[in-house]
Amino acid sequence: MSQEHPEQGSSSKRRVYPQQQYDFAAAQPAGYSMPDPTQPYGASASPSAAMYGGAHAIPSPAAFQPHTANVQSGAFAPPPGTPGSAVDPPVAPGVAGGMAYGAPQAAGAAYGYQGLTNQMGNLNIGGGGAYQGGAPPGAAGGAHMAAPTQLNQIYNTDLLQNFPPPISDLTLPPPPVILPPGSSVTGNPDPNADSEFMRCTLNTVPTSSSLLKKSKLPFALVIRPYTALRDADENVPTVADTTIARCRRCRSYINPYVVFLEGGARWRCNMCNLTNDVPSGFDYDAVANKPRDRWSRAELNHSVVEFVAPAEYMVRPPQPLVYVFVLDVSVHSVKNGLLATAARTIKESLSRIPNVDNRTRVGFLAVDSSLHYFAIPRKEDVAEGEGEEGEENEWPEPRMMVVSDIDDPFLPMPTDLLVNLSQCKGGIEKLLDSLQSMFAHTVNPASALGSAVVAAHKLIANIGGKIVCLTSTLPNVGQGKLEVRDDKKALGTSREGQMLQTASTFYKSFAVECSKTQVTVDMFLFSSHYQDVASLSNLPRFSAGQTYFYPGWIASNPEDANKFALEFSEYLSQELATEAVLRVRSCDGIRMSAFYGNFFSRSSDLCSFSTFPRDQSYVIEVNIEETIVKPWVTFQAAILHSTASGERRIRVITRAFPTSALLQDIYASADQIAITTYLANKAVEKALQKGPQDARDLLMNRLNEMFTCYKKDLMTTNVGASAPLQFCTNLRMLPLLVNALIKHIGFRKTSQIPSDLRSAALCLLSTLPDKYLIQYIYPNFYNLIFMPDEAGLPDAETGQIVMPPCTNLSGEHLISHGLFLIDDGQVMFLWVGRDAQPALLQDVFGVSSITEVPTGKTELPVLDNQFNERIRNIISKAREKTDAITYQHLYVVREDGEPALRLWATTHLVEDRVEQSGVTYHQFLTSIREKLNS
Amino acid sequence: MAADAYTFIFAILISLVNLFLQVFFTIMYSDLECDYINPIDLCNRLNNYVLPEAAAHAALTIVFLLTGHWIVLLLNAPIFAYNAHKIYTNTHLLDATEIFRTLKKHKQESFIKLACYLVFFFLYLYCMIAALVRED
Ligand SMILES: [Zn+2]
Repeated sequence: MSQEHPEQGSSSKRRVYPQQQYDFAAAQPAGYSMPDPTQPYGASASPSAAMYGGAHAIPSPAAFQPHTANVQSGAFAPPPGTPGSAVDPPVAPGVAGGMAYGAPQAAGAAYGYQGLTNQMGNLNIGGGGAYQGGAPPGAAGGAHMAAPTQLNQIYNTDLLQNFPPPISDLTLPPPPVILPPGSSVTGNPDPNADSEFMRCTLNTVPTSSSLLKKSKLPFALVIRPYTALRDADENVPTVADTTIARCRRCRSYINPYVVFLEGGARWRCNMCNLTNDVPSGFDYDAVANKPRDRWSRAELNHSVVEFVAPAEYMVRPPQPLVYVFVLDVSVHSVKNGLLATAARTIKESLSRIPNVDNRTRVGFLAVDSSLHYFAIPRKEDVAEGEGEEGEENEWPEPRMMVVSDIDDPFLPMPTDLLVNLSQCKGGIEKLLDSLQSMFAHTVNPASALGSAVVAAHKLIANIGGKIVCLTSTLPNVGQGKLEVRDDKKALGTSREGQMLQTASTFYKSFAVECSKTQVTVDMFLFSSHYQDVASLSNLPRFSAGQTYFYPGWIASNPEDANKFALEFSEYLSQELATEAVLRVRSCDGIRMSAFYGNFFSRSSDLCSFSTFPRDQSYVIEVNIEETIVKPWVTFQAAILHSTASGERRIRVITRAFPTSALLQDIYASADQIAITTYLANKAVEKALQKGPQDARDLLMNRLNEMFTCYKKDLMTTNVGASAPLQFCTNLRMLPLLVNALIKHIGFRKTSQIPSDLRSAALCLLSTLPDKYLIQYIYPNFYNLIFMPDEAGLPDAETGQIVMPPCTNLSGEHLISHGLFLIDDGQVMFLWVGRDAQPALLQDVFGVSSITEVPTGKTELPVLDNQFNERIRNIISKAREKTDAITYQHLYVVREDGEPALRLWATTHLVEDRVEQSGVTYHQFLTSIREKLNS
Repeated sequence: MAADAYTFIFAILISLVNLFLQVFFTIMYSDLECDYINPIDLCNRLNNYVLPEAAAHAALTIVFLLTGHWIVLLLNAPIFAYNAHKIYTNTHLLDATEIFRTLKKHKQESFIKLACYLVFFFLYLYCMIAALVRED
């Protein structure tokens, strides 16, 4: 849902909350947000048809109001099942007109019927009118009027009856957050931040920690501050006048949930209830030099805003962006073509590196057993922008200085090692052109990567920035040197956990050093041999970077070269924030207790990011310390950062959630996707500490506890050995996702996964934003021969390619004459059945028999037929993204082809047995049921 | 004075030092919780004292071994073994990247050690007095 600007004028004061619910329904026809109370999920004879959205498919006669019903209080009948006890609280005189309908209105909102919605919209005119006349809308009465609100209802699903699992649920939005009407100060229909930015495992917050403990559900926030790599693809309103209203006590930022008092002169903080003065410039437009309408301020209308911060928010002036490339020039990287490809890609992407005001600086360092520094001289007499093209050849040659002291690296000269990108572009290009030939004949197999990072750090320690390491060699000399410790026999045993931990403390302690000096290290790793990803990944993990792993990469394979070049170019083009800190605030009695993701915890509640990447998300565990008395609570994440253009800014994301003391409300509003994200992070932490076995146990235990709690406290009837396995409908994908996590490459019980692959997978599992994480855990599986006619072709309205529906990840769907696509977001498999028809092969691959189909890493040929085009469209649509750099490889897999490749592809069919994690999803559920019933 | 008395005077001094160190550790941990100190400074500061504490305790244990005070030796053995294990597995130093995750464990360890050293202090005091009385 997009955040719309409220209409101006008096109509903006209208509280259009029910309309929002309707929008929700319209946008998500299958949303489970508006269940029909008389048609609970799965109650119909045809479960798959009636569940989720049954409310729309099957009108229930009793509850449904005619669309055109008149606005009469009598015409409004709460749907049966809605507690008739939706009694109004005593209302203040003057707002009675509005509030009389407040309670049923809330009930209607929860159900979101179109008919009701229209009535509500009309009713609201009266209600809103009562608030008008200068007073802040909804201020005094509305916000703290604990109108009884109908929260989400709980519906049971029999998991084994409902088999195979309806995986379309995975793309549903989280259960709706139902706030009492009038909780937001302006009439914005959608004051809550989009769930892309922030989602909570519990969309109804338990009021006490004992209730939370009893529920066995995790309580955590999933925060993703940026939803696109580049600003142009994002639409976040900016508050540019540097008037930032903050609470004096809890330091939270003014947001759509505050309450204005005393004629708007003061505002009450929605977190700690302290009354604050409204700052003097709040109602004044400093740019146009005239008074402005307070209600048009973005921070009162939107829950994701960016404040431009004044100088008080700076420790030092915003620094320029700095990139230091540490290039491996040992024989491995020269032979596999990494050096040449990297140099070419950097050269081609120089203009994509964010460099708004020509301040960006770059430096280069080459490393084998010694360090090679490059001084890029400035061309003094070339005026900027004047005939650069023609005079390119006249740039003075870059000079190389070799330092062989790798134990205590020093800088051979003070200047010219780090140069301005705009001023020295010619020299940089010249250097990049000559790198490959400089090292073409090397035979040096050593790499002092640790020392090189230390040297690079020395170079930029007083500015901060990014160190980008590209290497295909295990760092085997110098600081932080590592040894091959890849013991094949230890795989799948209890000793495996050790191989996921760092072998050298250097990679952790130096990360701390980096964080202190605002430096981020990113690792691009390419080895075809053991490279100790487990150790190396610690540098990015604690300096807010990322580890990118390209196992067995070789530039002579055009797909490999293409993938890296595309991803690296995207990586370089992403807009970076620097010197960032993230803090999450909430109401009294709620504390952020644990933080997961790639950053350094600088204090108990402050995550620090030397540079802020745009393609990661963070999980923050929440603790309830005191009983919550408020009807709803707010969470506010604030990211203070400097933009590449030299502005200090604060991105503020606010979300409110209702509270409840009832266990069923907590379960009915639990968000399975957020819970899975939390569990994945928790399991990664466990795997890194103890090993994959402990991680699997943790996942299994947490799931079992939830089932036990649900059965004991929310299912009163089903007892006995044959009781069905029931769970609430909004969580019915959770067992599947947990089962898929247990079978995931990061945690799977097997002796076949090299520890490097595991470590790289763990890096992804703990950083991917939820939509990619879910796909990584439960890949998209498309049946390409039985797809709807419109799939693979541009949609008539939007022009976007229509994707075919996803199929359950089970081998039984892999029919032998079929063609399938499995896409986990990191890699794609195009599966060709053994009995594929020649006509199909001809259309897709342009070959006449299955033995001629090219397998392995490849691309589809461009053929002149519609089917080929549709499949290519689907593949390119799956690769198209503005919020991640990943470009999936395409592997063509023949059912009768290479066994290893086929096995790899089938490990993604997570509803089947996967290697030694030897249970199907059905068996998994059956064993849970038996355990519960015994 | 007997050798016994000297042994226990030494023991009292050592346990006093360790007692103060553990109090210091505990205070620093709660400072970290209240954000009075950042994890990097905390680790840098505390890591200076981890080895001295273990060394002092080890020296005392060896003195007990050499002088044949078997019972107090036995009482000190668990802490000695615990310290030795941590140093052997190279986990004795605090890790600034993990400190918030492991803070609870560190605090617990500090509390237990604090209690032990306190009990030992009075035990040694008693032993010393007993040794002096015996001599008289
Ligand atoms: Zn406050």
